[in-house]
Amino acid sequence: MELLRPSSLEALDGGVPLAGGTEVVPLLREGLLETDVLVDVSGLVPVGIDGTRIGAGTTLAAIEADSDVPAALREACRLAASPQLRNMGTVGGNLLQATRCWYWRLHYPCRLHGGDRCHARDGEHREHAIFANDFCASGHPSDVAAALLALDATLRTSRRRLPLGELYRLPTEPDRRTTTLEPGELILELDVPHPDSSCYLKAMDRKRWAFPLVGVATARTGTATRVALAGVAPIPWLLEGSLDDATPLPGTAYKVEIAKALQKRALASLS
Amino acid sequence: MARLIRTEKEVEGRYEEVWLLVEEDSLEQWPAGPRSVVGRPAERVDGAARARGEAIFTGDVHLPGLLHTAVLRSPFARARVRRVDLAPALAAPGVRAAIGPGDARGFERECGYEGAAVAAVCADTFAQAQEAVALIALDWEELEPLLDPDEAARTGQLLGSRQYERGDLERGLAEADAVVEATYRTQTVLHNSMETHQSVCRWVGDTLEVHISTQYIWGVRDDVASAVGLAADKVRVVSEYSGGGFGSKNDPGEYTFAAAELARRTGRPVRCALTRREENVAAGNRNSTIQRLVAGAHADGTLTALGGEFVNAVGYSGWSSMTEGPMQMLYACANVRTHTAGAKLNLPPMKAFRAPGFVEGTFGLECLLDELAAKLDLDPLELRRRNHTDADPRDDRRYSSKHLTECYRRAEPHWQRRHDVRARSTDTVKRGVGIASQIWFGGGGPPSYAWVRVGADARATVVTATQDIGTGTKTALAQIAAEELGFPLERVSVVLGDTARGPYSTLSAGSSTTPSMGPATRSAAADAKRQILDLAEQRYEGQMQIENGELVGADGTRRSLDELLGLLGDGQILGTGARGPNPTGLEVLTFGVQVAEVAVDVETGEVSVDRIAAIHDVGRVINPLGASSQVEGGIIQGIGHTLSEQRLDDPGSGRVLTRTLDAYKLPTIADVPEIVCELIDTPDEHLTNLGSKGLGEPPIIPVAAAIANAIRDATGADVRSLPITREEMLRALAEAREREKRGAPATV
Repeated sequence: MELLRPSSLEALDGGVPLAGGTEVVPLLREGLLETDVLVDVSGLVPVGIDGTRIGAGTTLAAIEADSDVPAALREACRLAASPQLRNMGTVGGNLLQATRCWYWRLHYPCRLHGGDRCHARDGEHREHAIFANDFCASGHPSDVAAALLALDATLRTSRRRLPLGELYRLPTEPDRRTTTLEPGELILELDVPHPDSSCYLKAMDRKRWAFPLVGVATARTGTATRVALAGVAPIPWLLEGSLDDATPLPGTAYKVEIAKALQKRALASLS
Repeated sequence: MARLIRTEKEVEGRYEEVWLLVEEDSLEQWPAGPRSVVGRPAERVDGAARARGEAIFTGDVHLPGLLHTAVLRSPFARARVRRVDLAPALAAPGVRAAIGPGDARGFERECGYEGAAVAAVCADTFAQAQEAVALIALDWEELEPLLDPDEAARTGQLLGSRQYERGDLERGLAEADAVVEATYRTQTVLHNSMETHQSVCRWVGDTLEVHISTQYIWGVRDDVASAVGLAADKVRVVSEYSGGGFGSKNDPGEYTFAAAELARRTGRPVRCALTRREENVAAGNRNSTIQRLVAGAHADGTLTALGGEFVNAVGYSGWSSMTEGPMQMLYACANVRTHTAGAKLNLPPMKAFRAPGFVEGTFGLECLLDELAAKLDLDPLELRRRNHTDADPRDDRRYSSKHLTECYRRAEPHWQRRHDVRARSTDTVKRGVGIASQIWFGGGGPPSYAWVRVGADARATVVTATQDIGTGTKTALAQIAAEELGFPLERVSVVLGDTARGPYSTLSAGSSTTPSMGPATRSAAADAKRQILDLAEQRYEGQMQIENGELVGADGTRRSLDELLGLLGDGQILGTGARGPNPTGLEVLTFGVQVAEVAVDVETGEVSVDRIAAIHDVGRVINPLGASSQVEGGIIQGIGHTLSEQRLDDPGSGRVLTRTLDAYKLPTIADVPEIVCELIDTPDEHLTNLGSKGLGEPPIIPVAAAIANAIRDATGADVRSLPITREEMLRALAEAREREKRGAPATV
């Protein structure tokens, strides 16, 4: 395997981008990602926080510690992973995390792997989705993405600007991808509007270092309030209707109850 | 004087009648309470070496020319290998040898569980071995797996089935003023030892040298010798440090047999180490259980009946552990009936796991007792007191010592906190306190031996081929030898972990290392001391004693030991000692009680354990610091078992889904509550020259029930399945609300 360190974005030519390595390295080791070329993009992607702009190469640890960052995002960083992982993992990489669905991780021929059924639906699925789970029941693991979705963040990539919501897509029969990022396209920067008030609450299987069973982010700007959830759909989920619209599986019905409780609390905590 | 006796030997709750070679133990016990060294907190003698990375674990054994092994394991829960072709693997870069079914013990064509070993390849690097093992050509015949324990029990696919009865259960239930009945379930949990199962094997002439992470170097020696057809003393087993075992490393395992065979074929040292993913599948587990229980009692709380139908989901092989043990042994009850079926399934085999059976059975029994207390409107602690027994209720045998009543007394202040704890509840966070008792074995036994060597430098070395599995054995043995010799602790070293360099020791399982090796070590130190004092009397006038490294005469004169022992030159004093027999006709058991405080978020199902007070009776405590560390470790492991750990299997295929440490959720430091450890520290006057029992297992036993009972106290909800995940907690809360709506009493 080759590790490239291109000097500019223009010199970027294929390969898998590597920043903190907390996502890419495990995927490579599991054979879930295959490549001959890794591209160290740490010199190409902006790092640091400047007003509403956050470089995609900024670590979760740095965001967690910056008091100018909206509370929902700081809390999402603080409740994610472990201190060691947050010291390495970047916010850009965090948005592109693959699902923790054990069937997908163990190479079952599931829909995300191009197969013809979702093994989780009939199998063990207590960590899985309550929304949009008909085709693939995986849950999206990113706390940070849910917070950024509630905060209505915008991304600047090496090719375009887009609202965060447009980074994600639900997998479909003809196209199994869960993001709209094109090969070679890099997330460079986030623009995170500062709301009047925001909050992130998370339920997990232990007190720390677990992916969300349910994460609920809320943000209020003026009279508009946005609610987004982690761990409840194959992609970060902007709640546009009610949690009563959820379509849980037998083993995920409990998540709806938790989501309702966290949503109530998160909304109540908005000032 | 050694003699042969016919006796009953117990390991992990399994009894067998054996001939035992025992030596008399003539030493009087020390008076109770802290001595100069024993009974006082001592830091680990190898703590600095561990912290500096100097401790050599099996994973650190790097021998010249070492080869690395990858194992091919069955991807199916039940399958047969029709054809296997090792040639493509043998042709791969770096590969030195490969073995297939039948080439080493544990490598089979018939695979009864996912993870069963089929073939193995050794190569210059582990990466090469992994690449090569993937090239092995296999033709599989996949078969329908049996995964449901109830179905196995129903259709008689069993690994053991037991029936026990005293009195008449039906009569006991008929006499009862209150009867409670409930089904409890416990999950499959994994040991996940920090150091994965592994061995390095090397042939030295006609001797096989085995470096292995193990709890029983002598057991490994005998098993490996029989597997490879050698005399036992032609196998040398070394385990200087090991990174945890918890019962899963009592025997050598297929990885050792593979390493031995590949080393024989290549003439080079070979490592075979499980990866973390293999560890989560093929290294053993605490099997799941189903417990259908009933209890009856008079209005005053006196138990009239206890009944249990237990199903142990043993897996493809292993043994059906004593899940019914607590029900038979913990309380006075005239009418008890248990039936236990061990289900043979196409799932990875169980292995002993820290108090196997009793952890699971105590959860069921002690929750049932609290449900009974609620129905009778009795204080749960009082209910336990009222059913206390002074003799083993199975056979009226007396205990060698039992201070459970004292444990209850010491639990009282912790139990009294419940009024304040409950008062801190809010609308959404309910708080409560729960209690659970503990009973277990832990007496150890013969044979076990130690030697003590004293040289001209006036230092002592304890030499024994036991193993320190991370529990602090080395420190405890050093303290015991120092105490007996009258040496300061710094003047005693311990050498262990090598069958070629020391006498036999029992296995480090069943909470038996300290109660077995401690008395042997004291006996060897006493032998050495007698010799030192004999020399002292030849050199000086009059009777003397050794205190804190000095010779003290009857008239109080003090002389440095260095002076006397300096005369030894190259001469050495060699003391030998053996573990004496267990007391005849007495039952040696450990007892305890734990009190847990929890907070339950009734909207999100989050359970937080805030505090656990652990009060255990394990006889004399050698090292209070090491003992509290064992208690903390047991409680933390118990919290994982209670709240977050579970191996999940695909219900269709029987394949393990949780193979990594992000999917299989061990507790982290953030999950650890305040732990209060209190030990009764009263020597068992009938047990050995020390009066010490083992403490490795007792602390994990009552944790789950104490937490579940605290949850009931806080919320009125009956949690009956482990782990108490969010969904189990919310289910139980919904059930409790439903019951309240119907106006039914708090407990069925």
